[in-house]
Amino acid sequence: MSSDSIPHPTQDALLRASIDRSLRHPVMFFMTSGAAWLAVSIILGIISSAKVHSPGFLDQCAWLTYGRTFPAHINALVYGWGFQAAFAVIIWLMARLSRQECRSAGIILTAGHIWNLAVSLGVIGILSGNGTGMPWMEFPSFTWPVLLASYFAIVVWSFIQFRVRPEGHVYISQWYILAAIVWFPWIFLTANLLLNCFPGHPVMGAGINAWYKSSLIFLFFTPVGLGAAYYLAPKVSGRPIHSYSLAKLGFWSLAIIAPWAGMQKLIGAPVPYFLPYVGAAATVLIFIPAACAGANILRTAFFSKEAVAESPSLRFSIAGVISLVVMGAAALLLNLPGSTLKLTQFSISGYGFELLALYAFFSFVMFGAIYFIVPRVTRREWLSRRLITMHFFFSIYGIMAVAMVALFGGLQQGMAQESWQLPWINAAISTRPYAWAATIAWCFILFSNVFFFIHLTLMWLRLGRRSSHPTLLVSSHGSSPHGSEGDIDNTGSGHAAAH
Amino acid sequence: MSLRTFILGLSASFGIAWLAVIVVPYFKMRDMAPIQLSEETDGTTGIFYPKRTGRVADGALVYAENGCYLCHTQVVRPTYAGNDLYRPDWGGLKDDGDRGDTRRETNAFDFTYEKFAQIGVSRLGPDLSNIGRRVESIYASKGDPATWLYAHLYNPRYRPELRASMCPSYRFMFEEKQIKGRRSLDALPFGGSETTELVPTSDAKALISYLLSLKKDQAVPAVLNFGPAKKDG
Repeated sequence: MSSDSIPHPTQDALLRASIDRSLRHPVMFFMTSGAAWLAVSIILGIISSAKVHSPGFLDQCAWLTYGRTFPAHINALVYGWGFQAAFAVIIWLMARLSRQECRSAGIILTAGHIWNLAVSLGVIGILSGNGTGMPWMEFPSFTWPVLLASYFAIVVWSFIQFRVRPEGHVYISQWYILAAIVWFPWIFLTANLLLNCFPGHPVMGAGINAWYKSSLIFLFFTPVGLGAAYYLAPKVSGRPIHSYSLAKLGFWSLAIIAPWAGMQKLIGAPVPYFLPYVGAAATVLIFIPAACAGANILRTAFFSKEAVAESPSLRFSIAGVISLVVMGAAALLLNLPGSTLKLTQFSISGYGFELLALYAFFSFVMFGAIYFIVPRVTRREWLSRRLITMHFFFSIYGIMAVAMVALFGGLQQGMAQESWQLPWINAAISTRPYAWAATIAWCFILFSNVFFFIHLTLMWLRLGRRSSHPTLLVSSHGSSPHGSEGDIDNTGSGHAAAH
Repeated sequence: MSLRTFILGLSASFGIAWLAVIVVPYFKMRDMAPIQLSEETDGTTGIFYPKRTGRVADGALVYAENGCYLCHTQVVRPTYAGNDLYRPDWGGLKDDGDRGDTRRETNAFDFTYEKFAQIGVSRLGPDLSNIGRRVESIYASKGDPATWLYAHLYNPRYRPELRASMCPSYRFMFEEKQIKGRRSLDALPFGGSETTELVPTSDAKALISYLLSLKKDQAVPAVLNFGPAKKDG
């Protein structure tokens, strides 16, 4: 790319401002309604988690039985919060990186409302006893075509923006986001067609469902999270990305390994023998893309230790990326056929791992992105350093408890299950301390997010600070650690040739 | 790399795995050939077709809608994948009278008449592959298995030996009704008053019928029998 294609700094700033303005309503809509679903999901999570150790809790009402609140909780977390946070980040990042204003905010907003309606009907469907009984696909089956159609209406514009972008450099975040945009409908359509419309063999159905869960984590939430982290780390620290070849290795290893993962959950069930082993091998190998991306992003961010300490965006996304590495290590350690897989297969570590992926990694990076994006699209700064700090620390405490459950609770429970000489009740009781830990963790997470919800609502009402100084976590009035705008977009120091 | 090559790369890396672990196994499993029995090894001819009685389809629906699969599995794993078969009452019964040791691993024919195999995600409760057999032969060997299960569904901690159970109560699947003449046959032995009784709703009846149909310990053809060879014929 020649230097004459770099636009004038003022023009550049104007373009960025107009992109942000064109996306203000869709981005804020997805972030606030996503946060509202996060609140719903956390409350349902506390209720269902408490029922695991205290089954008498709220047990009078059919709507609140464990078998309905738990699926409602996880589906609200995935489709209500996870997807909407992802939409906000996808449309904003792609517009910024492709340097295109959004011309379809109206359609995106309408589709966003339809998405929310479908999620609401789905959650009500589960709670009223109309769930399908397939993990992560419990929404009544009429919702899936609606979700898919609104998904297309939301993200297709990002794809178009990429196609009409100015010639030149393609940044790592764009690879990840394009990949997520392409993979998700493929996964979603496959699972729903084969399970809802043309059911084949019932056991293969369970296999497809296990693959769907794993694919959603590794081929949608992971790429979106990494896309955001790859954007934030160099942008905020003001350094170019550590290594492009490492980034490529991380990306393509994820693309090649992740689609095979998932069916290890069926080891021992009557499916073709190779499927669980292939699934286990792929899940173990997920450590490679996680470690590549983790090392790359962390090395980039820690060039500037000051920025990590001061910037809320960077602190959240770094915590998320560290969780990604922990998640990769957990995938490696918990899925070894012949040793740990039989212990964790039917234990709480499955849920722990999902939370590690969805909350500790993905949501933390999304919080980082939200702390970065919202001031730009609303033209207001965050109100209070203290609210952000509270959000961060209580979320960290909560998620550390969850990681402990994932790594140790599942193994201990599995060992108790395998002790066939002892009565079953021993295995059932061994879970109890970890069930308590999960409840306490959810309470911490709820507490931490109250600060986030209040803060985000105030920002949404445009009550943020009118200031040109970003809200930092350290009270010095030194120079801005956000770096000068434009470092990472298609111009500036980060544009070493990618391909 | 152009956009087209990039999309092609994404599609290839995903598509190959998709074909290999989803599409091909899906069709292979859907069109699974029936197993021919042979006179020599199975003592009979024809095809293997496990029978199952009860309200399987609508019971499975109640099972799914109320999230039983979150805490209960329905798979007895072979010994390479876990110790399920060693438990005396999971894969069948260690000593089922004339039938001897009926324990065996789960096979692909065990889910006949179900749309989705509730393999399950976690074992906070015991495996239910043979819950029907267990209740009939052990828990309610002297009484009515359905009544035992109704009471358990209403209050899983009702019996002293199950005081530590974490299973939720499904009280909402029962209704209090006026006794007209005689008490209903399926009324709970507790609850109610002088003039009323607790009777299961249609959902509870379907679910219990389904649970009692879970007896995955019938003899299997020799080609599916991976059990150790019997010492005496």
